[in-house]
Amino acid sequence: MNTLKIMLALGLLCLSSASVQAVEIRDHHKEVIGKDCKACHDQGIKQFPSDQACQQCHDVDELAETTARSEEDKWQNPHNNLHYGKELPCQECHGEHKAKKPICSDCHTFKYDKHKE
Amino acid sequence: MSNVDLLGRRKFIAGLGVAAGAAMVAPAMAVSEKADGVKWDKEIEIVIIGSGFAGLAAGIEATKLGAKDVHIFEKMSYFGGNSAINGGLFAAPGTPMQSKEGVNDSVDRMVADQLAAGCGIADEALLRHVAEHAMEALQMTFDAGSEYHPYLQQLGGHSVARTYQTTVSCGAGITQPLLHKCRELGVHTHNRSKFEGFLVGEKGEVLGVKMRDNYHFGEDQPGKVINIRAKRGVIMATGGFAQNVNLRMAQDPTLTSEVGCTNAPGATGEGMYEMFRLGAVPVHLAHIQSGPWASPDEGGFGYVSNYSIYNFPHSIAINRLTGQRFMDEIADRKTRADAELACRDEQGNALPPILITSYKDSKKHPNTKKVIKYNVGWKFDSVEELASHFNVPLKALKTQIEEYNQYVKSGEDKQFGKNMTKAAGKYIEAPFTVVRLWPKVHYCQGGVQINTKAEVKDSFTGVAIPGLYAAGEVCGGIHGVSRLGSCSIPECMVMGMTAARSMMKA
Repeated sequence: MNTLKIMLALGLLCLSSASVQAVEIRDHHKEVIGKDCKACHDQGIKQFPSDQACQQCHDVDELAETTARSEEDKWQNPHNNLHYGKELPCQECHGEHKAKKPICSDCHTFKYDKHKE
Repeated sequence: MSNVDLLGRRKFIAGLGVAAGAAMVAPAMAVSEKADGVKWDKEIEIVIIGSGFAGLAAGIEATKLGAKDVHIFEKMSYFGGNSAINGGLFAAPGTPMQSKEGVNDSVDRMVADQLAAGCGIADEALLRHVAEHAMEALQMTFDAGSEYHPYLQQLGGHSVARTYQTTVSCGAGITQPLLHKCRELGVHTHNRSKFEGFLVGEKGEVLGVKMRDNYHFGEDQPGKVINIRAKRGVIMATGGFAQNVNLRMAQDPTLTSEVGCTNAPGATGEGMYEMFRLGAVPVHLAHIQSGPWASPDEGGFGYVSNYSIYNFPHSIAINRLTGQRFMDEIADRKTRADAELACRDEQGNALPPILITSYKDSKKHPNTKKVIKYNVGWKFDSVEELASHFNVPLKALKTQIEEYNQYVKSGEDKQFGKNMTKAAGKYIEAPFTVVRLWPKVHYCQGGVQINTKAEVKDSFTGVAIPGLYAAGEVCGGIHGVSRLGSCSIPECMVMGMTAARSMMKA
């Protein structure tokens, strides 16, 4: 029984340290969020953040400008793309606790060099 | 995301149930229940499940006919379903562009072409209903702001040019305007809302649905199930099951994961199977179509699909082992997909064939530049260069090109009987563009049986299940063995509109 408790404790420790590390992926998040998980997890810690959570700080129009491409490739803008316009929820391509690929790569070979998973 | 293992997950859950007690299992199983004693969390006028062409057209039409409280529920985080990522090709007879180009077409002619591809098992009444109303559906897209290329295309299996294509060469050129139109009209749209089963009255009528809120596809977050009463009824517009390898292999064991898929990840089939549990008639489930124009060098529909659909009439498809043609490049989809899958090396491994087009002709399609730019297609200045890149026997290839160019000249393809009308004057000469071909599962002809009112028939009584309507790819039997290209969008939209009309009249 004791062994089980220790194993559980170790397991929890691993889990918590993993998520703290994950939050550190983006420096600007580290500065703003710190260790306040609720800053993003607005629907409870065990639930994914709402699709609006990221927009407390990030503005879709600004993001779309930042990632704009030339006229010929204008619809490859992940924040204003051909298929879903500006409506693609952030979590389709970005995750703080796990690596994600851009949804475009399901069908296309576009390069997004600055994409942070 | 493309390897959704629903059956696997069920088995796992069932195993868990034995160990942990049945109570834990219940929430994960999507099943319909009697509505007797159910606490309704919400009551709304019209429930539409799925936000593709069929669901969006139903939402607009219902609102136009006076519905005040229409809700579209979408399982995924984004709207548009599979409709948002296809080629955006729309066939209709008697269109403005046909009169402009002097094309002689009619409802009868379009139905005849589809019946031929259906190999005797298509549903003529449904095909006729769709063809008769296709122009209305096209008009709905014009009204919403969809824009189309200023030319018509004649796709494989069609006897005349009758296909419009959005200027973005994608269904999103229709779903985006329709979605905006829906919202403008006051239709409520909900994402991350997964259909979990019907709530059924004493006489087997559909009274409402169970919806899982805050659902994250492919993630381990359960969300919360709510019971929604649908006053006028439920329209199932949930699409096909092409992304569910287990289910498609249950119907056709050749459709292994070796054959890719062009569909959006959400095309997993639960809505359709739930209707079967309720008593709907399963039709033609084993007829699953693979697109012969897809490329193994990119995922999904990608860029090559539209490129090759446009270029097939004036191109040659070559088996790399022999250096020769192996099919009529504009035969129906099934014929071509089977011919491509048969292209294998001496060991039996897949050897994707190549489509060779003269650059002078291919460059007229907007995707050609992109195909080359994103390394899913190649440009060659000589046949030698081409042959060596793909390891094709040079002499055989040269002979084949000379022979084919004779057919371009004479207008008669002695090898495969291809209709050379669109190839007139388009000789295969350098420089060339080349893409690789390999079929991808694209469309499920099978589904639930409906009538021309978009009502779902019950398998035992033969009459419509009250309160239940279905439209689009989730329905079966309309096209028979093979669906002609560009005939799905009119079907989805017309049947979505029809479902709304029937519901408002009921």
